[in-house]
Amino acid sequence: MTTPTHDLPTPSGEPDPGSTGSSGGRADHDMDEPPKGGSFLGYLLRKLGGALTSMILVVVLGFFAFRMLPGDPVLKIAKERPMSPAQIAELRSQYGLDKPVIVQFWDYLVGIFTGELGESYVYRKPVSELIVDYLGPTLLLTATAAVLAIGLGLWLGQLSAWRRNSLFDKVASSTSLVFWSVPTFWLGLILLMIFGGTLQWLPTGGMITPGLDPWSPAGIIDVIKHLILPVITMVAVVYAQYLMVMRASLIEEMSEDYLTTARAKGLTEDEVRKKHAVPNALLPTITVVFMHIGGLITGAVTVEAVFSWPGLGKLTFEAISGPDLPLLQGTFVVFSAIIIVMNLAADIVYRFLDPRVRRA
Amino acid sequence: MFAQHTLRRHLGACLAGLAAMALVGSIAAAPAQAETTEAADGSKVLRIATDGFIDSFNPFTSFYLMPTNTFKYMYENLVSNSAEDTSVTEGLATEWDTGSGGKVWTYKIRPDMKWSDDEPLTAEDVAWTYNQMMEKDEMSVANGGLVENFDKVETPDDQTVVITLKNPQANNPGQEIPVVPKHIWSKIDKPGEFKNDEQTVGSGPFQLESYEANKSVTLKANPNFWRGEPELDQIQYRYYTNSDAQVQAIRSGEVDFITGLSPEQFTAIEGADNVETNVGNGRRFQGISINSGLADADNEEFGTGNEALKDKKVRQAIRAGIDIDTLRDQVLQDYAQPATSFVPSVYEKFALPADNPVVSGFDVEKAKELLDEAGWKEGSEGIREKDGKTLELRLLTDSDATVEQKTAKFLKPWMKDIGIQLKNEASDVDTVSERTTKGDYDMYFSGWSLNPDPDYQLFINTCDSRPDAEGSGGTSQDGYCSKTFDKLYRQQHVELDENKRIDLVHQALAQHYEDTASITLWYPNQLEAYRSDRFTGFTKQPTDGGIIANQVGYWGYTSVEPVNAEDASGEGGGMGAGGWVGIAAAAIVVIGGGGFLLSRRKKSDDRE
Repeated sequence: MTTPTHDLPTPSGEPDPGSTGSSGGRADHDMDEPPKGGSFLGYLLRKLGGALTSMILVVVLGFFAFRMLPGDPVLKIAKERPMSPAQIAELRSQYGLDKPVIVQFWDYLVGIFTGELGESYVYRKPVSELIVDYLGPTLLLTATAAVLAIGLGLWLGQLSAWRRNSLFDKVASSTSLVFWSVPTFWLGLILLMIFGGTLQWLPTGGMITPGLDPWSPAGIIDVIKHLILPVITMVAVVYAQYLMVMRASLIEEMSEDYLTTARAKGLTEDEVRKKHAVPNALLPTITVVFMHIGGLITGAVTVEAVFSWPGLGKLTFEAISGPDLPLLQGTFVVFSAIIIVMNLAADIVYRFLDPRVRRA
Repeated sequence: MFAQHTLRRHLGACLAGLAAMALVGSIAAAPAQAETTEAADGSKVLRIATDGFIDSFNPFTSFYLMPTNTFKYMYENLVSNSAEDTSVTEGLATEWDTGSGGKVWTYKIRPDMKWSDDEPLTAEDVAWTYNQMMEKDEMSVANGGLVENFDKVETPDDQTVVITLKNPQANNPGQEIPVVPKHIWSKIDKPGEFKNDEQTVGSGPFQLESYEANKSVTLKANPNFWRGEPELDQIQYRYYTNSDAQVQAIRSGEVDFITGLSPEQFTAIEGADNVETNVGNGRRFQGISINSGLADADNEEFGTGNEALKDKKVRQAIRAGIDIDTLRDQVLQDYAQPATSFVPSVYEKFALPADNPVVSGFDVEKAKELLDEAGWKEGSEGIREKDGKTLELRLLTDSDATVEQKTAKFLKPWMKDIGIQLKNEASDVDTVSERTTKGDYDMYFSGWSLNPDPDYQLFINTCDSRPDAEGSGGTSQDGYCSKTFDKLYRQQHVELDENKRIDLVHQALAQHYEDTASITLWYPNQLEAYRSDRFTGFTKQPTDGGIIANQVGYWGYTSVEPVNAEDASGEGGGMGAGGWVGIAAAAIVVIGGGGFLLSRRKKSDDRE
C-alpha cells in the first residue's frame, strides 16, 4: 500500500439499483412503492443484513481462529515455572479448557448473546468489564487524533487541490505521503526518544502520572501532556488519506460549470472555493472519513503499545502474548463490531448527504 | 438544496473548529504543567518501570512474575534466603531443626511480631496458610507443589510450628511460601478468588497500597517489619509496554529503576547522566535442549527426534563443536557468565564447578573424532553419513528472539565444520512451544530461572518428570531419563549433611553433563540501571555481583535510601518553559508550515 488513494473504497459502495442506479430500477420503484421511504428501507435492510452476516462470521471466526493458533495457554503459563502436574490440571479446569471444544464454543455463543464474553485468564475479570474499562482511553486517543487528522487532512487537501501542482501542493502531498509510509512503531519510538528521553519535554509513556486525579486541573493537564506524542504519531501516519481524498475530490469539482457561474457572479476565488467547491467535494470525503474511523481505532494497537497507553490496543497486545483466549476473542469481536458499525454508518450517512442518492 | 449546503458548511466549520480547539487547547494548557509536578507531598518514592502481567495479588493463586516478586516484599516466609549467598536464613522463624532425618521440621517463631495492621503474628498464621494450600485445590494453584510433600502442620504453641512431611527431604520446607494473616484471610468468603489488590496486610517490608491495572502498583512501607521500617515511604511500579520506552523513561528521570535490558539497550544507557548501571549475575540459565529420544513415563517413545541424537557421542560432538566463548562475546556482548550445567554459578555451592573433570570445551577435532566413533563418516559436501542417511538436524528457534537468531547464525557453519547439516526452523514462540511439547524437534533453545535450592530443577530432570501417555502432566526439562541420575537425585533429596548433599548434586550434574541431554550455554546477566542522583543503597543478591530486581527475597529495594530527601519526592521529568516553546514550534512544523502557506494564499487571493 504505497499511496493511500489506492485502497480507498468507492464512496457509494456497490451500485445501488434501488436508488442511484439504472433507470430501469428506478422505474420499478416509481411504480411499485413510495419513491423515498420504501427504497430507503430496502437499502437500509440490505445494508443491515450485510452487516449482520459479517458480524456472525466474526463471531464464529473469533472463536475458531484463535483456537487454531499454536500454543497451549496453560503450558505457556507453566513454562519454565516450578509447577506440578496437579497445578497444571487445576489451571486447565479453571480456564474451562478441559471441556470439549464444542462445549466451549456453545458457552462462548451463549455468552456473546448475553453480553458475557467470558473471563480473562490473565486479569481474572469478565472480558466485557475489561473492554469497558479500556475503551475510554482508546476513545480519547483516537478521537483526538481523528479530529486533528481529519481537520488537518481536509484543510491541506483542499488547499493542495486548489493550487494543484504548485510548490505548496507538491510539498504538502509528498510530506503527507512520507509520513503515511513511515512505520508507526518506528515514528513513535523516534518521537519518544527525541521528546521523551533526550529533550525530556514530554512523558515517555502512560496516560496519567500515577496518583493524580484525572479530573483535577493538574490531572487534565497531565493527561494532555501524555496525549501529545501518541496523538502526533497517529495523526502523522493517517492524515494523508484525508488529504488525498479531499484533493482528488476537489479537483474533480473544479472543472464543474457551477464554479464558472459562481465566478461570473463576482465572487472572489476564496469564496468560490469555500462556498461552492469545497462543500461539494466534502461529500465523498465524509464517507471515507467514517469508513476510516474504525480503522483508526484498530490502528491504535501499535501506538498504544509504543506509548504504553492503557487502552484497548494495549489490552489486545497483551492478550496476544498470553495467549489469553477469552480476552482475544472479546477484543476481536469488539474491534470488528466497531468497523462493521462504522461502515454501516458510512453507507447511511452517504445516502443522507448525497442529493443524487437522496432524491429529495 | 440550500439548507443542505448550509449544513455541510457547518459540518466543515465544526470539524475545523474542533481541530483548532484541540491544538490550541493542548498548547495553551501545556505551560502550566511546568509548575505542577507529580504527587509532590515530600514522600520518598522509588519509581520502577515494569511491563509485568498481573492477574491478582493473591499469593495462593497468582503465578506471574510481577505479583510473585511483589509477594516477596509483602509476605515474610518461615525462613528466607540471604542476600549474601541465598543460603537459608531467618524469616518468621529464628531457628529450625529437623531431628528425624528430614521428616519432621520444627520452627521457633520470633516472639512479639506484628502484622502491618498491628495484630499479633503467631505460629497459628503459618499453620493456617499451609493448611489452606494442603486442603483446598483453589488455594494450591500457585504454590501447591511446595506443600505436596506435607503430611501435617501443627502448632504445639504460639511460637512453634511443626511440619511433618510424607517423605524426608533435605531442602528446608519453610522457604518460598508467603505466610498470610489468618485474621484477614479466614474471614474471606472465597479466598481463592480474593484479589488482594489494595491496603493489604502482611509482614514484609512493603504492603500493597493500591493497584491500577496497566498504570501503576503502589507499595507502602510497613512500620512493623521485623527487620525495621524501610527508609523509603513508597515503591511505585509504573507501566511501560516496551523496554525502549523504559530506557527513555530512566534517561528523562520519570522512573528510578529499570531492569531486564538487552545488551544493546544497556550499552546505549551506560554513561548517561545520573544513571548508574548494574551487571547482575542472574539465577537463570540458557541452553540448547536436545531431543535425545523422547519417551513418556511408560517408556513409550514419541515425537520426531532424529535417531542420530539417541547416541550420546553425537550429542557430545555437538557440544564440542560450539565455541560458546565466541557466542557469549558476539551474541551477548559478554553480558553472561560462563556455564557448566543447569545450576547457575550464583548458587556457588551447588553449581557444577568448572574444574570438574567432566567439563569439556570447544574442540573441533574432538567433535569429529566423536562422530567418527559414532559411525558417522564424512560424505558428499562434508556432511556425514551413516547407513545411507545424512546427518541433518533441525534447530527450532523463536523468530522474535534476537539471541536465538544470532546464535543460530553462528551454529550453522560451526556444525557444517564437523559434518552436521543444521537447519534453523524459525517460527513464533507458540509454535515452538507446541512442537517441543509434541517432541517434534531435534534441538531448541530453552532456559529456566532457578531458586536457591536445586531440588526442583534436579527433579524435573528425573524419569518421573516425563509426560504421561496422554502427553500431559510432566514438566521435564529436556525429557532426560537416567537411572544413575535418578539415584543421585533421590540420595541428595534426603541428605541432611550439606557437604555430602553438595557432592551428590555435583555428581548428578556431572552425569547430566556427560549424558548431554542439553547444552547449557551461559547464565545471562540481568542488566539493570537506577537514578544515582536520587537513590542509593540498593542491595544485590548475592551481594557480590548479584541482581537487584527478581531476587529470592526482599533485599533489593528495602535498603534503598534517597540521596537527598528533597529530590526523592517523586518529582523530576518536568519540563521548563523552553521546552514548551519547542513543542509549540514542533506542532507548527507538523501541521505543515500552515501559517506560512496561509499568508501566501491570502496574497494570491488579493491578486485575483
